Amino acid sequence: MTRMQLLLRLLFKAAWVRKDRALTALVSVAVVATIATAALTIYSDLEGRLSRDFRGFGANVVVTRTQGSLTQSDLSAMHKVVKAKQDVISLAYAVATAPNGSRVIVGGADIISLLQMNSWWSTKQVSTDGSALIGSRAAAQLSPSGQPFTVSFGSKALSIRPLAIFTSGSDDDSRIYVSTSDLSDATGLSSNVALLRIEGRPRNIEAAISKLKTSAPDLDVQPARQITQAQATVVGKTRSVVLASSAVVVVLIMLCMVATFTSSVLERRKDFAVMKALGASNRTVNFLFASEAALLALAGSAAGYILGCGIAFWIGKVNFEAAILPQPFLLLPVLLGSVALALIASTAPLRLLQQIQPAGILRGE
Amino acid sequence: MFLRLLFESFRRQKRRKTVALLSIALGMSIATAMIAVGTDIGDKINQELRSLGANLVLTPVEDTLDVNLGGVNLKPASEGAFIREQDLIKIKGIFWGHNIKGYAPFLSAPQAIRAKNTQIEAELIGTYFAQPLRYGKEDFTTGVRSMNPWWKVEGEWPQDYADWPQNQPPNVLIGTKLAEQNNLTVGDAIEIGDKNLRVSGILNSGGSEDQAVVAPLHIVQTILGQPNAVRRVTVSALTKPEDPFARKDPNKMTPAMRDRWYCSPYANSIAFQINEVLPNVRVEQIRQVEQIQGKVLSRVSGLMLLLTLAALLAAALAVSAAMAATILERRQEVGLMKSLGAGNVAVASLFLTEAGFLALAGGLLGFLAGAALAHRIGQSIFGSSIVVHPVVLAVVLCAAVLVTFIGSAGAVRKAMQFDPAVVLRGDA
Repeated sequence: MTRMQLLLRLLFKAAWVRKDRALTALVSVAVVATIATAALTIYSDLEGRLSRDFRGFGANVVVTRTQGSLTQSDLSAMHKVVKAKQDVISLAYAVATAPNGSRVIVGGADIISLLQMNSWWSTKQVSTDGSALIGSRAAAQLSPSGQPFTVSFGSKALSIRPLAIFTSGSDDDSRIYVSTSDLSDATGLSSNVALLRIEGRPRNIEAAISKLKTSAPDLDVQPARQITQAQATVVGKTRSVVLASSAVVVVLIMLCMVATFTSSVLERRKDFAVMKALGASNRTVNFLFASEAALLALAGSAAGYILGCGIAFWIGKVNFEAAILPQPFLLLPVLLGSVALALIASTAPLRLLQQIQPAGILRGE
Repeated sequence: MFLRLLFESFRRQKRRKTVALLSIALGMSIATAMIAVGTDIGDKINQELRSLGANLVLTPVEDTLDVNLGGVNLKPASEGAFIREQDLIKIKGIFWGHNIKGYAPFLSAPQAIRAKNTQIEAELIGTYFAQPLRYGKEDFTTGVRSMNPWWKVEGEWPQDYADWPQNQPPNVLIGTKLAEQNNLTVGDAIEIGDKNLRVSGILNSGGSEDQAVVAPLHIVQTILGQPNAVRRVTVSALTKPEDPFARKDPNKMTPAMRDRWYCSPYANSIAFQINEVLPNVRVEQIRQVEQIQGKVLSRVSGLMLLLTLAALLAAALAVSAAMAATILERRQEVGLMKSLGAGNVAVASLFLTEAGFLALAGGLLGFLAGAALAHRIGQSIFGSSIVVHPVVLAVVLCAAVLVTFIGSAGAVRKAMQFDPAVVLRGDA
């Protein structure tokens, strides 16, 4: 039997003969690895997930050309910084006179895209063949039951056939939106404002805005600071909470694992004494205990990594309606960390034992 | 005899007991900290989301339509209806008055402004900046400084004058774009309708206020000759995210359902209650803000809940493993007791009582440490502490006992299955 075979046999027997002890150690390592993997996987993906939620809240940038109307090159500059075509909506506004003599603002836009972008509007469809969106306050005064009416721009008249009445809680409630062509036919105006929805993390949005500002310097680019600021704060704070609580959990559970490991090594002081009595050097014994711990830790942390990825995947599915995929770059740190921790936890008590004579331990001191 | 055995076991096996105690305490402090953070995170993020500004807006019922275009108000100051400023304090008196974090009234009209011998046409907006108010016995401060935290001022915020100051011109803010176009800086004098004003700061709001003059409400009321009038009020309320129940019409509910609806801090029910005290006012949710809040809140709380569950499970496993390890170590003791004639029940009850004591002590220690950790996390991230509810202590102690019992029971059973002679010889 070679030394190598003997070592393997010792390692295997040590785990096999005391299965429950090996299992306890394995479980404690696996728990640490699982929770560390799950927390870190979620943490690394959190910013993207939460930012996606803020996407549902419509335009986060308003672009205005103060003199004249938006040109084709302005629009193509905007399309370069947003992901989807429907994330840019160009708008024109004009003041019209309503049948009751009051003034009302009429906006011209692609109303289907407008509805999609402002998905938080609460809308009530009033007819199937209409072509205009009426703000709730405007509707209350001009068309309470959704009947068609006419507004005038000086001498020109525009007939409004309501499609839906919407409530937003903003200035838009006093406005009417018709299609771009309807408004330009009646007033000759073309779009001078564009609403942009830029997706991504706060810093991506900032980068897109500054890119837009440099590519079209004569446009007025105004981020909806209210939303971008809230996004940055909430995402930042949530990340910190997840990080802080994960750190607490991982550190405490690590301590717990170290305690378990240490006590299971101390339990084997008789093995240790017998080996020493049979003539094993301190180095050999250390090596034996350490490699046993390392193997257990490796197996435990590999299982923990898989389990942790599973938990992160599940949390993503349940909470974010989209799975959080495993992060392969975490595998190495988790494995190495667990092994290092197990080595420290198992070799530290040996140093204590080395100070005692084997005979003393065997006698039960 | 039993007590003596118990006592001696603790006295003679200090190391083992310390390790077990430590494991339980660590596991339970995880539980305490995670439960505390997980249950409080909703409130904390809700507070943070108030940086989105107001979520309710009040306008007069009789009002004509707003004619705002590109930040320019085309509606004359005389047109339309107003809300009485005096009545606004009643908002604090509604059922959910404590959830009203603040409100800001607005009165605005386009005005001719004379500055440096040029005449500019711009919007004059009057509002509270940080107006001290009193409702009943409660003193509070409200205004745009706290409601619109994204407003940045270069220079100084004006004060909220109760009346027109006698000796010096009152301070106002000027929007950054307006200031840039007309070369106005901090300290410049401007004149609106033969009244002198002084620019104390340049306002950058990222919105239409950047092209306006923002002044204290009472000054604007004097200039416009509309005492006690405001056109619009924004209200910031802590609300519960909207769910299908919140959207129901309160007039079609049974009395019991209506009570439940009325006593839940939904934006809808708060709007309804404001309407009860201010009947001539239309209360509208700012839907964009409300919806962001609801969605983000449920995401973050859900995430923390699941993380808490995972952490609790992990803590339970870790404590069980630690307990199992310490008991397996004592196989020989079991063997000795059994060979001296102890029955399985006697041995098990000794071990489980020990475990129970350890669990209670460890649970208490863990609770204290966990509460301190939660407090630290709250302070460092949100600047306000996370208070641990006393109920958590009971939960943690029960959990500690349960988890240690589960961890020990398996190991004790295992230890008792061995033949005493084999165990004592050291062959098991």
